[in-house]
Amino acid sequence: MAAPSNGLAFARALVATNVKGALALRGAFVLQVVFMALNNFTFFVFWWVLMRRVTTLRGWQIGDIQVLFGIVAAAFGLAVTVAGGVRHLGRFIDEGDLDTLLTQPRSVLVYALGIRSQPSGFGDLISGAIFIAWSGQVSWRTLPVVVAAVVASALIFVACGVLFFSLAFWLGKVESAARQIWELLITFSLYPEPLFGGLIRLALFTVLPAGFVGYLPVRLVHEPSLLHAAVLSGGAAAYLALAVLVFDRGLRRYASGSRFSTFG
Amino acid sequence: MTRFIRRYAAFARIAIAQARRERAELYGRAAFFVVILGVFSSLWRAAADAGLPVAAEPRSLVWYLAATEWIVLSAPPIHLDIQEAIRRGDVVYQLGRPVSYVIAEFASALGLLAFRAPLLGLAAFLCAYAFTGWIPPLGALAIVVPFGLAAAALLTALFLWTGLLAFWLQDVSPVYWLGQKLMFILGGLMLPLTVYPEIVRRIAALTPFPVVLGEPASFLLKDAMVTPGALVRNLAIWCCMTALALGWIFRRARVALTINGG
Amino acid sequence: MQPAVELNEVSKSFRVRRARSGGASARVRELFRARTETVLAVDRLSFSIAPGERVAFIGPNGAGKSTTLKVLAGILRPDAGEVRVLGLVPSRQRHALAFQIGTVFGQRSQLWYQLPPRDTFELLGRVYDLDRRSHAQRIAMLTAVFELGSLVDTPVRHLSLGERMRCEIVASLLHSPHILFLDEPTIGLDVSAKAVIRELLRTESERERVTLLLTSHDTGDMERVCTRVIVIHGGRLLWDGPIGALRRGYLKTKRVTLWSDAEHLELAMPGVRVLASGSYRTELEVALDITPLGRVIDAAVRVAPIRDMAIDDAPLDDVIRALYANADNRSGAS
Repeated sequence: MAAPSNGLAFARALVATNVKGALALRGAFVLQVVFMALNNFTFFVFWWVLMRRVTTLRGWQIGDIQVLFGIVAAAFGLAVTVAGGVRHLGRFIDEGDLDTLLTQPRSVLVYALGIRSQPSGFGDLISGAIFIAWSGQVSWRTLPVVVAAVVASALIFVACGVLFFSLAFWLGKVESAARQIWELLITFSLYPEPLFGGLIRLALFTVLPAGFVGYLPVRLVHEPSLLHAAVLSGGAAAYLALAVLVFDRGLRRYASGSRFSTFG
Repeated sequence: MTRFIRRYAAFARIAIAQARRERAELYGRAAFFVVILGVFSSLWRAAADAGLPVAAEPRSLVWYLAATEWIVLSAPPIHLDIQEAIRRGDVVYQLGRPVSYVIAEFASALGLLAFRAPLLGLAAFLCAYAFTGWIPPLGALAIVVPFGLAAAALLTALFLWTGLLAFWLQDVSPVYWLGQKLMFILGGLMLPLTVYPEIVRRIAALTPFPVVLGEPASFLLKDAMVTPGALVRNLAIWCCMTALALGWIFRRARVALTINGG
Repeated sequence: MQPAVELNEVSKSFRVRRARSGGASARVRELFRARTETVLAVDRLSFSIAPGERVAFIGPNGAGKSTTLKVLAGILRPDAGEVRVLGLVPSRQRHALAFQIGTVFGQRSQLWYQLPPRDTFELLGRVYDLDRRSHAQRIAMLTAVFELGSLVDTPVRHLSLGERMRCEIVASLLHSPHILFLDEPTIGLDVSAKAVIRELLRTESERERVTLLLTSHDTGDMERVCTRVIVIHGGRLLWDGPIGALRRGYLKTKRVTLWSDAEHLELAMPGVRVLASGSYRTELEVALDITPLGRVIDAAVRVAPIRDMAIDDAPLDDVIRALYANADNRSGAS
């Protein structure tokens, strides 16, 4: 069994190779980064137009929306650049691509996550950073808090992706459905939480943790308190643990060879 | 003329048969209506509370959004299929056949559209009614539906054009995302263009986006953006321009193919 | 000496859930209903392989070759029986075993597509926790032996299939495994590329005493690389023995197709069986140890002018069928 310290060396090498792979096609890389950043800024125009007219929406001002966009974009960007394999996990499982990973002495989950990188994620990261800086609500003092919040949100994005796409172990071709649910998470994260009523708010902190990904970090930036930090890190840890558990169970089922096939 | 239609109708029929098997995606899209209309009902109520004039009638804004989303979601994302076909080299085989590749692809996309639009339209209608408890005047709905279908067809043609960029670009997705967001803003997906600053409206007028989204849906608002006659004219103009653009890009693609040998 | 691979009455079946349509709702419903079919992929398979042996695992599609390989590599858990690879139980000691085995899947790649193979090699150094200096030396050595040259610094997407396969094999040997599992390593390769791969596998296995177990449809793989062949059919062991014995018994037949001026070519010779005849085309099966090919052709030419001719090896399915028939006869006799 490989010692934990070597596991770190492996993870580092995996991320480095992954990013190098993303950079390999220089032209496509630049196009993806620039266009994704432009994509995010363009979408924000809607909020800019709206907030110009109303100034405050359920207590949220444009600076708050910018912090929200910044954190969600940066977190998502971090997730798909470092652990870009999560978007392909359903396909890996369904098409047997985990076989090669199973013959190597490393964690299959870590390996599968780190085997792809999406260049557009760098565009998300850059635009996220710009949104945060532009909001005027983050000082040098609170920057570490923001970075920590981004990392926690990224972990939750990845964990939820693993959870949704791991359904492939039991249901076969879930690529499309799982992706749509995952994208739903992103959609909800981008809207101010006060808009939502009680039942939805509950869902946004449980089954579809948009509240953890977007809302809590924004609260954390406004009021950096130990309680908020604890809830956020606790949430991230919980989702991660659940994801690892579900994937592990699924992997055991994969090793039993039960497959889903269709006819007719 | 009938032979022409019959030949390409076959493509449409195959597409419909295939679409029937890919129902999961459609259910996802229908579910998306629930989410987005729900979110925006709350948003417009909040905006009305905050004093936004156009949100004075939040329910018609929700129906407006239902209409624009219906148009966007009905148009099948064929740019991905075309990119895949070009990457795999299938296109080269199509070129040898006695059918125009572009028209054939468009025909099958229209088939998909014909399958998706009614289902998604029903979902849109039900969700909008559920969230507002109100139905717009039937006259308005009667105008929106045909214009919406025409707009969705035009949007499909634009997706086709985007897909053809795969002859030069490794991956057309970035172009698609940016184009989509520009369409959301300049077409007035969520907010009618009347709320946007003058500069944005002037830029939008140079693009087909208002014709695709905002103008057809605006018949559901108190004050429509255009008259039906004007919209027919605008649609016709942009359809012609898109057809020309498709012909042009495909001719350039054939040149690229014959020079580089696929 | 401890065998490298030991299988004892290993069985593996798949519970396949079949849904009537591909719809998600149908699949979810099926998940709760127990409508499953059982496909028996491997049926009480037993064999053992000594260290350093090179074994070909031959059989038609669906015979259970890939399944057996996956059981040995620790990817699949068997339902019954005992498996030991290098003394370890694959499904329970996957991690420990992984350091000592290498795998090459012909239809999958473990090389990063956009990067040169060297980057994958270096990553594998971290995967297997290899000392940096000796790892670098080993890369250099294997690159020389497999004549990769500048290929190792060329992005994989620019490599031909044959070049890529050579790099895949190098990748699988970097951590000096004791045993190498290869699943269809020459699939899709042209004749010269196959020859190169086969030669390299054989010499490398001899040099480093690496046990080889390779599955293939190609009898050339079997003959050029391996010393022993195991034939599997319907999940059952059909034949296990040295290559020479198989060649002697079953592979010395050829299929000869003749196009002549005679509508029916009449040839009655020992060892020659007429498979099809008519429309100026005659198909013969020639047992080469009974009648040399030349004599058959001479005889045919004397009957009628020959316009065209094709000579092929007996298809593997025929060999297997013959084996199967023979096995039935033997079990019937006893």
